[in-house]
Amino acid sequence: MAYGSVVVLEDIDLTVTAGEIVALTGVNGVGKSTLLSCLAGFRRPAEGAVSVLGGPPRDNAEFWRSVAIVADQPTWYPGLTARELLELVRMTHQPLRGWCLPADELVEIFGLSARADASPLSLSSGQRQRLSLAAALARPSRLLLLDEPEQSLDAGFRQELATLLSEQYAASGGTVVMATHDHDFAVTAGARVVPLAEGRITGDTEAAGETEDRVAADDGITGPVA
Amino acid sequence: MTAADDAEAEANVAAVRSFIARHRRRSWVDWYVAGFALLIAGIYGSDFLATPLSRLGRPASHAAATHAAATQAVAGAGLVIGVGVGLLLLAQALGPLALSPADASWLLLTPLDRRVVLRRAALTVALLATAAGALLGVLGLAMAGPYLRLAASGLPGSWLFLSAVAGAGCCLAAAAAAGLAQPWARPRAVIRAVGLAVAVVAVGGAVAGERLSAVTRAVTAVFGGLSTPVFETAALAALALAAVAWLLLWRRLSVFPAGVLRADSARSGRALLAAQFLNFSLLFWIAEDNHWRGRLLRSKPWPKLPPALALAWADWRRLGRRPWPLAILAVASVIPALLGIAVTGRIRPDLIAAALVLGALAVGAQGTVAAKRDQDDAALRRLLGVDAGRALVARAVLPTLLSGCWLALSLAVLSAAGTLSGWLWPLLGLIAGPGVAAGVLRLARTARINPADRGPDTPMGNTPPWLISRALSVIVALIGAAPLVVALLRGEAPATIVIDQCAASVIVLWVYLAIARSLSR
Repeated sequence: MAYGSVVVLEDIDLTVTAGEIVALTGVNGVGKSTLLSCLAGFRRPAEGAVSVLGGPPRDNAEFWRSVAIVADQPTWYPGLTARELLELVRMTHQPLRGWCLPADELVEIFGLSARADASPLSLSSGQRQRLSLAAALARPSRLLLLDEPEQSLDAGFRQELATLLSEQYAASGGTVVMATHDHDFAVTAGARVVPLAEGRITGDTEAAGETEDRVAADDGITGPVA
Repeated sequence: MTAADDAEAEANVAAVRSFIARHRRRSWVDWYVAGFALLIAGIYGSDFLATPLSRLGRPASHAAATHAAATQAVAGAGLVIGVGVGLLLLAQALGPLALSPADASWLLLTPLDRRVVLRRAALTVALLATAAGALLGVLGLAMAGPYLRLAASGLPGSWLFLSAVAGAGCCLAAAAAAGLAQPWARPRAVIRAVGLAVAVVAVGGAVAGERLSAVTRAVTAVFGGLSTPVFETAALAALALAAVAWLLLWRRLSVFPAGVLRADSARSGRALLAAQFLNFSLLFWIAEDNHWRGRLLRSKPWPKLPPALALAWADWRRLGRRPWPLAILAVASVIPALLGIAVTGRIRPDLIAAALVLGALAVGAQGTVAAKRDQDDAALRRLLGVDAGRALVARAVLPTLLSGCWLALSLAVLSAAGTLSGWLWPLLGLIAGPGVAAGVLRLARTARINPADRGPDTPMGNTPPWLISRALSVIVALIGAAPLVVALLRGEAPATIVIDQCAASVIVLWVYLAIARSLSR
């Protein structure tokens, strides 16, 4: 995978099974976000193949019904409150078939009750990050791609988020692939830690023992990305 | 997709759009402000275009007989071509579709039918392209019309329509090419280079035409060679191009790549916001970021300079690495020379002065990207260990040179074209550089915009503090260049005005630096 003449990822061979949480770790610029954007289909590898949910990333309605992504800071609608935004997300994914949480419950879980009727533009960066993550869980999905979800979040909420991902999202069959710098967050989420260095996978560690119980073989993400 | 599927997809997107519109909470003041702005723009725009458009109804023999009319035709045609190329490049830079960044964030990566989601954006592009094409087509016709050997019955209705379609076709083709040809970076670069070359030749020819009657004769002879069949063929070819571009764009809507749209919409949204808030430095930063992403830079040692100058060197190096924008701006220095002649057929000192001051501000802002980034950042200053006042003085050097050199170049062109008489003008422009640079620096160092800040209420609605602050920066630049502006309005540059300008530049820059320095402590 290359940006112009800059090669970012090489010899990537990674398979993720359904219900698994995978944490891509590594120093800044190592290619974690690039790998996520390959999985989302935003970028195509120069060589090799990417398979997501049984085929190449397809960029169609069926694909985006199954895949949710939280990457860059989104642009907010002026005039829509945080609660209305979550309702909008649910509306765009009708009919809601599969695990997801209603707007009111998400507002509660993500600690946005006091600011639920405020514009996202008036929220702090941490609250906006909470809202972005809540939006990803407001609709059903089979694969959740998270780019540094811990960004701007306080330590306490990171733990709560990790627990939510492992005990509710992954437990209901959802797969999570995330890029993170927070090893504790990954461990709490029971993630399989995949360290990257110089554009290659340098190890593949089971951070916690729970993942074996949730492995499903049918569909998942397979590499290599070269 | 079946008709039932189509109807369901439309209904889903319509429900979502209605939800967003219902909750947008627009007050009557918003509509009032938008209406007022449109009205004012309409009044000024119609006044501005009244003279050139009046050529459309004038008898050909009368218009073609005067030398002034011929000069206006050449200058106007050059400007129309230059602006047309500029719009094409802008359409390429902003991306294939005018999708709002919020829509790109929340409606794109969903199961909603992409064709229906993007249809409004595609129609917006088509409308904008047609409006731009119509304006350029009509203006082009107004300039060349008196010399065209067209059948009397064809003027003006059908030719106006075809000219509009031709312009729209080109804009659409550029927009579609940007979206459809993502991997074709090289052809797009070639199109850009060819477009720029055409613009340079057209604008250069137009400037030469003001001085050299041979050029004017040659160009009007070309216009005279455009008979009805030639014009018809060209217009029909443009019509076909527009139709093909539009069809390609329409057919690709359902599979338009989300990644491209998200990136382009986010960038365009930031750029439009920066333009709306008159944030020139941020605009240049966006362009730089877009250019260097994915390119390899080779590190070079920092020159051995005093700390303050070393800090300011960032902007010098950035400009040195990518001098293209400067070259384009240097070419744009001829615009003031053409503006007056093209619009009214005579010199308009007020237009020339406004174009010169605004141009100098925009060019100077190229050298303040780092100043914008580091504005009043006490932590960064401590980290760098550089005195704030000295850093600011060092940072004033580049915008001073850029604004001064651009003004000197523009005024030299105006003198060469015979628009201004005397040869003191370039010197006057060079000396006005520091005065304008004070406004440029102030503009770059304006505090971040807080949308929640409210300013005084005026008949145009609430005037936010950022707008007042930016207007003050322009006023500072105007004060700094006041002797030059006065000389332009009078049309003469005596030797004493050079001394006045020298004093104004030094005083305005010194006062600004002193105030900024005291506020930074």
